[in-house]
Amino acid sequence: MLRLDKLTKQYGKFTALDGLSLEIADGQLHGFVGPNGAGKTTTMRIISTLLQPTSGTAEIDGVDVVRSGSKARKLIGYMPDFFGVYDSLKCWEYLDFYGRCYRLSAGERKQMADQLLDLVQLTEKRDAYVDSLSRGMKQRLCLARSLIHDPKLLILDEPASGMDPRARAEMKGILKTLRDMGKTVMISSHILPELSEMCDSLTILDHGHLVFSGSVEELSEKMNGNAPLDIRLQAGCGEETVERAVACLKELPFIREILQEETTLLRARLEGGEAETQQILRELVSRNIPVCDFHRAPMNLEKVFMEVTVDA
Amino acid sequence: MLNPILSFSATRRMRSGKTLVILGAWLAVMLGTALLMMGRLLGPEVTVNGLRSGTNCYIVLMIVQFFLIVLISPAMTSGTVAGERERQTLELLLVTNTRSLRIVWGKAMDSFGMLCLLLVCGAPVMFLPAVAGAVTPLQVLEGELFLLVTAFAAVCVGMLASAVARTSMAGGILAYLFVFGIAVVTSLPLFLDYPQAVTDIVYDPRALAQLSPGAATAMIFPVLFLNPGYGLIALLHGQTRFLSSALQYQQTGRLLCSFNLMDRAGGERIALISSGAVLLLGLALLFLSAAFVRRRGFGGKRKG
Repeated sequence: MLRLDKLTKQYGKFTALDGLSLEIADGQLHGFVGPNGAGKTTTMRIISTLLQPTSGTAEIDGVDVVRSGSKARKLIGYMPDFFGVYDSLKCWEYLDFYGRCYRLSAGERKQMADQLLDLVQLTEKRDAYVDSLSRGMKQRLCLARSLIHDPKLLILDEPASGMDPRARAEMKGILKTLRDMGKTVMISSHILPELSEMCDSLTILDHGHLVFSGSVEELSEKMNGNAPLDIRLQAGCGEETVERAVACLKELPFIREILQEETTLLRARLEGGEAETQQILRELVSRNIPVCDFHRAPMNLEKVFMEVTVDA
Repeated sequence: MLNPILSFSATRRMRSGKTLVILGAWLAVMLGTALLMMGRLLGPEVTVNGLRSGTNCYIVLMIVQFFLIVLISPAMTSGTVAGERERQTLELLLVTNTRSLRIVWGKAMDSFGMLCLLLVCGAPVMFLPAVAGAVTPLQVLEGELFLLVTAFAAVCVGMLASAVARTSMAGGILAYLFVFGIAVVTSLPLFLDYPQAVTDIVYDPRALAQLSPGAATAMIFPVLFLNPGYGLIALLHGQTRFLSSALQYQQTGRLLCSFNLMDRAGGERIALISSGAVLLLGLALLFLSAAFVRRRGFGGKRKG
């Protein structure tokens, strides 16, 4: 559905997006994650034909968004991370207006507006003025607007920002429904756990660079290999024993960092896999250091995000 | 299908209380001016002076409406595209398949429609001098058409400012600067020396009397036609001999040179040419505005 090839965007000397290549298959709910300034919005604006790339290509269903912007716009539903409010306009009029902009007939507009208001659970607000809606409702109405012309690809830039937990849950439900309807959805956020719960695949960006692209499971697998090692020594073993343990670890070439988390808990970061982990344990035991507990600290997605974006 | 931007903007405009206030204020100014100017005509006797006051009323009403249009239009239009940009709704329009020219046209027609409404509502007052016999109904219609063209051009100037500016306030300031700039630039020829061959004719009553209207028109600096103020003076002069006392053929002076040529060419003819030129200028500004809407839209803010 979506193919980005070496997409680059520069603002003067600043590179906002550096050679991003990516493919999203049909019907996928794809998360686009990165800290502020990572290049998420820039990418989404290029795909939405609002911004021209400095180089590279972006294709939707084989349609080049730069060369055939008009064709591409028919395939895209774009929801930015803000909600531009028009005062003195009712919800159905708001949808009807955008339907007219997409040149839908009166019948199509009415049918789509009713269906979409139902989808985003705003049927009872049909005749309410847009500026009287809550933030969550406005976001949902904005989502309905982006769907008015029945696009194949939905681009949602932080759709849940500023929402309370209940509104977020409702938004997630709607997005899952859209995926079930066969829409390809590209959704951005700077909160990885939020996206991992509902996305089929993820892309992590940092400073305009691609850090990771793949499924949530692949990301977890990859990152668990980099999880820090927690070594707990016997309680009351003494400061001298802890110092010996630290010295022993420092002698190992693959140890990157050692932190003393508690009196008898050491956390080591290392480069390597199981063989290196075994060697650490062997060294500690061979020097009579009383190891009580020895395991890789479990990585949650928040930690994963922090890890990958720091390393990039 | 009616331009969606136009119908949508018009709906919102007509729901706003501001529209009613503007309409009321416009009518108050028109009626106040008419009563002030035609008070004598409303008395029990009809006198020559009274009829003259009817003609003066028509002239003043035209001038008042002209200046109101020039003052109101930029303020009315400058916030249209800039306002969309400020509200961050312009991007939502640009991602639909609505061309920027369609956006600009819709917005311009909304503002122009409002000005048409003001002119139409003020039309009964404009016809009061015609009822009194001071001017003919056809002349009033000519005047109204001239004001409509001026309104369109003023809207287009405001539209360009709105397309260029990032905020409504900046758009407003820019619009007035544009209006001022256009007024100054197109008025400059009034203060320039005409070629010797032209002044020889203009200051010689006999030679001037033999000059055909077409030849007199050709001698006028073309930039002057782009000045609606010059067009208005020409129209009023053609209709009511406005400023006739100032046109003394034997006198010299750069300003009089232009007026003398206008007098010879025929005021209504000059007003017609000026209307055409102003209309074309307005359309050119609209196309330019459309180019700015898309360019600005593409530039956008960088966020992440």
